[in-house]
Amino acid sequence: MAILVDKHSRVMVQGITGGAGKFHTERMLAYGTNIVGGTSPGKGGHEVSGKPVFDTVTECVESTGADVSVIFLPARFVKEAAIEAIRAGIKFLVIVPEHIPIHDMLHVRREAVNHGATVIGGNTPGIITPGEANLGIMPDIAFAPGRVGTVSRSGSITYYVADTLTRSGYGETTCVGLGGDPVLGSTFNEILWKFEEDEKTKAVVMCGEIGGVYEEKATEIIPKMKTPVLAIIGGIYAPPGKRMGHAGAIVEGRMGTAKEKLDALTASGAHPCKTFTDIPETLKRLRM
Amino acid sequence: MRLYEFEGKELFKKFKIPIPESRLVRSADEVVAAIDEIKAPVVLKSQVLTGGRGKAGGIKTAESAEEARTLAEDLFKLTIKGYPVESLLVEPKLDIKNEYYVGVTIDRANYTLVVIASGEGGVDIEETAEKHPAKIIKQPLAVEEELYTFDALAIAKQIGIPATLIKQGAAIIVSLYNMFKKYDAKLVEINPLVLTESNLLLAADSRVSLDDDAVFRHPELKEMGIEMRHEEGEMTPRERQATEWGIPYLDLDGDIGMFPGGAGFGIMGNDFIHYYGGRPANFMDSGGGPTPERLAKMLVLLDENPSVKAIFGARFGGISRCDDFAKGVVMFLKDHGLSKPMVMRMTGNMWQEGVRIFEEAKQASPELFKNVEFHGIETPIEEISKRAVELAKINAATPQ
Repeated sequence: MAILVDKHSRVMVQGITGGAGKFHTERMLAYGTNIVGGTSPGKGGHEVSGKPVFDTVTECVESTGADVSVIFLPARFVKEAAIEAIRAGIKFLVIVPEHIPIHDMLHVRREAVNHGATVIGGNTPGIITPGEANLGIMPDIAFAPGRVGTVSRSGSITYYVADTLTRSGYGETTCVGLGGDPVLGSTFNEILWKFEEDEKTKAVVMCGEIGGVYEEKATEIIPKMKTPVLAIIGGIYAPPGKRMGHAGAIVEGRMGTAKEKLDALTASGAHPCKTFTDIPETLKRLRM
Repeated sequence: MRLYEFEGKELFKKFKIPIPESRLVRSADEVVAAIDEIKAPVVLKSQVLTGGRGKAGGIKTAESAEEARTLAEDLFKLTIKGYPVESLLVEPKLDIKNEYYVGVTIDRANYTLVVIASGEGGVDIEETAEKHPAKIIKQPLAVEEELYTFDALAIAKQIGIPATLIKQGAAIIVSLYNMFKKYDAKLVEINPLVLTESNLLLAADSRVSLDDDAVFRHPELKEMGIEMRHEEGEMTPRERQATEWGIPYLDLDGDIGMFPGGAGFGIMGNDFIHYYGGRPANFMDSGGGPTPERLAKMLVLLDENPSVKAIFGARFGGISRCDDFAKGVVMFLKDHGLSKPMVMRMTGNMWQEGVRIFEEAKQASPELFKNVEFHGIETPIEEISKRAVELAKINAATPQ
């Protein structure tokens, strides 16, 4: 078991003929990911790494049965590409490019919610279920199959945390990159809940950072979870950031410093970690 | 990207949101000329990209042209939170009967737009929001939704705009919402929306922040003289240099030069240094997939900073490649040279190739590497952090 992707996922790549698309399709295939095809308007009929290219997502879905898509396209094309995928029936979407316009992401999120699809990113390193599927840009070396899930806003932190879990013998069920853009396709809550429902995941490490509201929001769901949540937050010593005017403060309340986030998460039942090595130590304390 | 008050008001004008008569001036002489057209008493408002300028003395009222000149001369010498005052907006002093607040922003946690309004506008709106939340009206709207006039009328009524003016009030709220959507804004605010003694509704101030990532869709902004800019105060010379090189960089007050990978570990690596008793000299972000040239420049920034006593390097390659990382470090060692101790760890995407590049360069010129301690995946990053703190202490204690 795992969440969101496994060896049975039928994965397509939007932007499969581009530089990044080609390079990472090759890597994902080499890992054993079940890539079934991709799209690039105008290049239907071609092949990349032996996989068929289609003009539209609908054609790709009809021919290959794709149910998951990874987007490797310039930011300005992401809104259309994401909505195209969701309407064509893709249920899980990984948006790798960064700097997606915020209003575009709001549209994508609406579309996903209306169609019961899950989106991660923009600016996500992707998602990996070790030994089964690697979607996005994550380096294989950090990961091994195991029993802890991770969800993070940063790529490099995902790698460090997974590396620590791998080397301490815990391994990972699935590692999810939420993404680094200001408005993301999914929040911690939704991913945490998927881990809660996954039998194989015995604990979850959530990695947040200074700024934004997604960590605070997770305090609503952590008390409802039986699976223990470990929290690590970057930016405890960061100089105070810029604020986004009165309206931001009115809507989002006191903007979260890293310290406030970690305190709030701890109060809601999460186990705080300062460094990566604290993670296996905490798991041990939890008799795992 | 934050706009100046006068730029925000230009956009208001385009959307038929009424603003007071105003002139933008860049010298005390221009202030006097402006007062020929806008009769005294006037308000002189410093144009800076930061809040709290009123409390910082950046807004002055003048009863005459002479007084305005003296006040303007002082204002042009002022720096507010690192922002020097380079221009003023001259406006007639308004006879204020009441002040309202109207704004639109994004509720990121709930993925909606939100229209916010209050009958108690002015500088203390945040305090009102915290202490008397009932005095703030919030209407969430999905991003594709319109704000209808009937909803805006209800909002205008609720915040206490007089019955004779609610149609105008509603029109202002609808326009503000449309402007927010049209320009991909993150925030638009009228605070205060003033009701004058002569019963006019005027947007006395503007606060507009646009999404940097969507500016490409609005070439007309450039035609209006609104250029891409960053929301930051006065930069140090090193920060300016880094900005020119396209490297996100901040000077901090410690002595360990931070050469991390992406922003995520850039932020957390600084915490680690603190946990082990050290102080970082900077924050830096290589960006995804940096070129060797860019990486070499990052090291130049650190090596040339006299406060830096040791350099901490980390690369966990994902989209960024270790071979490029190694090439960048070697390029720096050859072309510039390293004058302080450096400890680094490299693993991830293409790490074998990265190690090979290091080994070859080291064999060819071992002297370049005499200050470099190199580690791979076998050493936890915590150990590298501790070592960086240690090296900085040793170096600081060594007489130069």
